Amino acid sequence: MEFHATLHVEGASANIRLVGELDSAAAPRLNELITQAAEQEVSRLVLLMSELSYMSSAGLRCIVMAHQKLGSDVDIVLVGTTPPVAETIKLTGLHRGVIMQDPAETR
Amino acid sequence: MTTRRLRVHEWAGAGAAIAYFTTSLAQDGGLTGRQAYRLRLAADEITANIIHHGYHGRPGMLELEGAVADDRLWLRIVDTAPRFDPRTHDPTPRLDADPVEAREEGGFGLYLALQALDEFAYEYRAGHNHNVLIMCRPAQGATETGGKGGNDDGEHRTGRRRGAWHHRHRTSASAAGGRVPDQA
Repeated sequence: MEFHATLHVEGASANIRLVGELDSAAAPRLNELITQAAEQEVSRLVLLMSELSYMSSAGLRCIVMAHQKLGSDVDIVLVGTTPPVAETIKLTGLHRGVIMQDPAETR
Repeated sequence: MTTRRLRVHEWAGAGAAIAYFTTSLAQDGGLTGRQAYRLRLAADEITANIIHHGYHGRPGMLELEGAVADDRLWLRIVDTAPRFDPRTHDPTPRLDADPVEAREEGGFGLYLALQALDEFAYEYRAGHNHNVLIMCRPAQGATETGGKGGNDDGEHRTGRRRGAWHHRHRTSASAAGGRVPDQA
């Protein structure tokens, strides 16, 4: 399955919706959107991940890059991660640096 | 025993081809959704590492061969890049770095690959790296729970569970369970 990502800035929140499979070939697209988000005055980067069916370490590198570009004052929120993707994130300890939320919590 | 083979020379589209190959192999072996995800992740990470760090993105050769044998499924990945045993990669500095923004961006892939597998073996022979990825097949009758791929725990019901993403590392490819056909 291909990867699609779209950025929508709403107030102080930059929301990126991820759809499909995020591997090393797809990661540059997400990095591009994170760079665009970092150019905005935002206090939150929200990654909407419920439609992301696969993520390799390339996706983890994107999250680390987001931290570095946005700085520690900006919260990074992962919403609706599927169980295997959440497992990958937790295995590397990256969940300690982000906020992981269920979709219901954001309503 | 049906053996699947895939030979890759061009890196554009390699990820999709390898994903299809591992998914088909996982189906052959009757792996659960969670196991199939882990096998794909491990193959993805190991081949990406070979392409980016072994061949440095330049043209090269990757051969994948996989089959199901009794209670196991094995996948052999062969390349001609410089000798490299993934088990020698130490991810500790990256995993321990805190806060997250202090981390280096890379270094997670091989760690994930080795964690995802039930067993892994490596051997360097005749100028070729041989990486052997092994998954234990679920017992017959084990079924998945949960609606999304990977949200199952078939191993739990088979009594074969050895902890989340448990892995064992063998010292040589030929030692991996004694069932992996040798390759010249």
